[in-house]
Amino acid sequence: MSAVAPIEHATEHAGHDEARGAFSWVATVDHKRIGILYLVTALVFFVIGGCEALLMRLQLARPGSTLVGPDTFNQLFTMHGTTMIFLVAMPTLVGFGNYVIPLMIGARDMAFPRLNAMSYWLFPFGGFLLHFSILAGGAPSGGWFGYAPLTETPFSSSPGTDYWILALLVLGVGSVATAINFIATILTLRAPGMTLGRVPLFVWMTFVTSILVILALPVLNASIVMLLVDRQLDAHFFLASGGGNTLLWQHFFWTFGHPEVYILALPAFGMISEVIPVFSRKPIFGHEFVAASTVAIAILSFGVWAHHMFATGLGRATDMFFVAGSMLIAVPTGVKIFNWVATMWGGSIRFTTSMLFATAFLIEFVIGGLSGITFAAAPIDWQMTDTYYVVAHFHYVAIGGTVFGVLAGLYYWFPKMSGRFLSERLGKPTFWLMVLGFNMTFFVQHFLGILGMPRRVFTYPDLPYWASLNMISTVGAVMMGVASLMLVVNILISARSGKVAGDNPWDAWTLEWATTSPPPHDNFSQVPPIHGRRPLWDLAHPAAAGAKAPAAPKERTFDKGAVAVWSFIASEAGFFLILIIAYVFYNFRSGVAGPSAASVLDVPKTAGFTVCLFVSSMTLWIAEKRLDKKDVTGATIWLALTLVLGGIFIVGQGSEYLGLYHRGVGVATNLFATTFFTLTGFHGLHVTVGLFALAIALGLMRARDFTPRSARLLRSIGLYWHFVDVVWLVVFTIVYLRPHA
Amino acid sequence: MTTRELLLSCWQLDPIALAVVAATCAALVATRGRRPALRALPLGLAIVVLVVALLSPVGRLADGYLFSAHMLQHLLLVLVVPPLALLGLQPIEGDAPKRARTSTVLKLLALPLVTWALGVGAMWLWHAPTLCNAASSSPLVHRLQELSLLAMGAAFWWPVMAPRVSARLSPLGGIAYLFTACTACTLLGILITFSPVQVCSVFAHPVDSLGVMPLLRDGWGLTPERDQQVGGLLMWVPACLVYGAGIMAQLARLLHEPPRTLAPEEAS
Repeated sequence: MSAVAPIEHATEHAGHDEARGAFSWVATVDHKRIGILYLVTALVFFVIGGCEALLMRLQLARPGSTLVGPDTFNQLFTMHGTTMIFLVAMPTLVGFGNYVIPLMIGARDMAFPRLNAMSYWLFPFGGFLLHFSILAGGAPSGGWFGYAPLTETPFSSSPGTDYWILALLVLGVGSVATAINFIATILTLRAPGMTLGRVPLFVWMTFVTSILVILALPVLNASIVMLLVDRQLDAHFFLASGGGNTLLWQHFFWTFGHPEVYILALPAFGMISEVIPVFSRKPIFGHEFVAASTVAIAILSFGVWAHHMFATGLGRATDMFFVAGSMLIAVPTGVKIFNWVATMWGGSIRFTTSMLFATAFLIEFVIGGLSGITFAAAPIDWQMTDTYYVVAHFHYVAIGGTVFGVLAGLYYWFPKMSGRFLSERLGKPTFWLMVLGFNMTFFVQHFLGILGMPRRVFTYPDLPYWASLNMISTVGAVMMGVASLMLVVNILISARSGKVAGDNPWDAWTLEWATTSPPPHDNFSQVPPIHGRRPLWDLAHPAAAGAKAPAAPKERTFDKGAVAVWSFIASEAGFFLILIIAYVFYNFRSGVAGPSAASVLDVPKTAGFTVCLFVSSMTLWIAEKRLDKKDVTGATIWLALTLVLGGIFIVGQGSEYLGLYHRGVGVATNLFATTFFTLTGFHGLHVTVGLFALAIALGLMRARDFTPRSARLLRSIGLYWHFVDVVWLVVFTIVYLRPHA
Repeated sequence: MTTRELLLSCWQLDPIALAVVAATCAALVATRGRRPALRALPLGLAIVVLVVALLSPVGRLADGYLFSAHMLQHLLLVLVVPPLALLGLQPIEGDAPKRARTSTVLKLLALPLVTWALGVGAMWLWHAPTLCNAASSSPLVHRLQELSLLAMGAAFWWPVMAPRVSARLSPLGGIAYLFTACTACTLLGILITFSPVQVCSVFAHPVDSLGVMPLLRDGWGLTPERDQQVGGLLMWVPACLVYGAGIMAQLARLLHEPPRTLAPEEAS
């Protein structure tokens, strides 16, 4: 057996003792504490979102009820959906990832602990913004997918929608930052021997999810920015009265929205893939297939958004392709289900509460998946869309899938986080009440949907069966509410006085169980040697594993800064891509009245500023080269020149805007102006941010002696700067040059 | 003309295409038992697909009749024939011999950025309206298009499927390479699907020397708009699946864990 691998020491906060007191939690950058903060905050929002759901169910218990009015009901379902997705599901999954991923890969912390803390604090801030709308004139009421033009000012004049947009932007930034952090952590901080083929499946699936997040969230961010520009500056992206397209929002939203479904599901799949093998006492069946099918799901998820839009009339050809594409997703998902079942097959299963939830997950998620496949058939979709059948379907996926997966994970990892078991005596009744209540609530909704009950109505007439089915649903919801309360009580009691667990209470074999429960501040005193996918099993069976363990295949190592910047660039590229698509969509056609690119833009003048920006990329490159040769003075001069050239570009853009303003061209003028100012304005904003970053680098270089770290910093900022320049070349070609081609 | 007659009659005996097919078959026979050996199954499939793409009714309809048929041909030539052909070459283990002079072509093929640009360029370039129209109206340009698509496709797949295993991209690199290409290709597919203008105006008013237009327009229901939609969708969805399959192959390399003998575990 090889020597015990030494621990790699991160640069941040090495050697701190664990701080105590409330402020230490506010100021913490420890991934374990941040993980717990995420989970506790998400639990608070879970209670809020759950109460909103209960209010809706109470209103719907009887026909013609007047408990809440129609407007309040609209606000309730909007807040419930937004809260559960953005303030409960995503933060919970991120919270577990934060806590266990560094432990599972044998790292001391996340790659960027301070960024991690920032991501967390954006989350309660976003939640606060969303709920502040209640004081500011009414909560948003346009549904969680905020369909424009319904959410445009003429139809939703209350500021609720604006707060909804701001909250989602803040949460979106936090999610992207977290995803970048996960990617950098998983790619660069794995302990020796822990190849990507050997990381636990929860780590792998969070990695894939993070890639989905950095590609999908920017699409949402770009679309809500457009909606905000429409609402605040009277632009016309989605308003038919100004020539805007009423379907564009749906395309953009579901380009984000469908991958989002898998962003919520994949980490829960990961938890299930940890829980089932441990409690079946068998390694997971077909590790490679479970891992690879995750990637297949992720790729397919980007290509099937239009199945949310069958009812909008996309045309027969388009429908056919999306029907086929959507049904294909059932293949990799089915592969996973069969692998989990095969893992349980022949195992000596221990039905702890965690395993019970995992088993329920298998059954409920299959039901949700099957009703999903029925939706992939366009004619069924035309019939069922916007009925309670949809509500039933996605709750089977979101609760039967994500929530049950998370609860399995909670019962599994709670002993690691607190050092104590969650009470099994309280856990098992919670489980049965939850599963029974869940199926009562949502299974009958399939029938309500088939009977034609539309979703999002605040009340309904007393049609045959409607009243009784709705009453069953409401009773089920109350049972789920009681079960949730029991869960909260269980957490509160067990955290103080639960049974003490020990380091590895479940006889599990991944690295987080190799350290104490809860782990010390630095996670491990020594990371065990890693020769395979189950290091603790290998440790316990040296004869079976050690002698024949092959050497770990060589894998490339990455610089965490470079990984982070490239991930960020991928994310930003997605953001600009959507803005560019909107520009192309509205401007690559003839016969638009009012100012156009050909009639108002001064190409030669802008070409001059473009050259400045282009040259600034070269001067920055020279500055990097100088710094590599340790010529700090030379680097400073070239960097200063870069700043000047970038500044000229911004001044040039400002003078162009001023000229257009004097000619009466503003963002509200027509669709050209709307798309032009939004696209170039956001690019200008990015140049400005880049200038600030470069100025900070310049200041750091002048303030202290040259270090390798400042060279890496400049290279990272440089990558971003080059990216911003490349975006401008694309924008310049499309906006300025094309009309004259 | 009925669909059946169309499928039976519209086969062409293009001399150049036939020569390519014959040459490949000859190479297959001539190199039997020699190194590097050829694999008959993928190579045979490559030839079949090549025949379908060039000589079958697909090739005939791609000649100015249907944009969707053109797109099918395009995708087969870039995304199906070259990888099948490369699969047909036996992998070579070990590093390249030092003394061997590498040709300029091989040096270019070793640059993923260049091959990526060629692969994505094959998609975008030939769908610029001018080039697309030229290829659909002039037989010479059409031949040039077909050959260039095959060449660019081969260049694109080289870094992930080169016969010499050591010359291939790392699995993660290969995934990034294929995923970004898929994105670029999907974008074009979306653009073509939703574009209100004809990408290739030739296909809106074909010169119907075969007399099949009534069948295509009324029998198959392919109006010029729907024809273009199907073309765009072909590039968007099935093309993405080919890249996806490539990504799966890279994942198999990444996740492969050398086998080791494990005693069946008893409950501990």
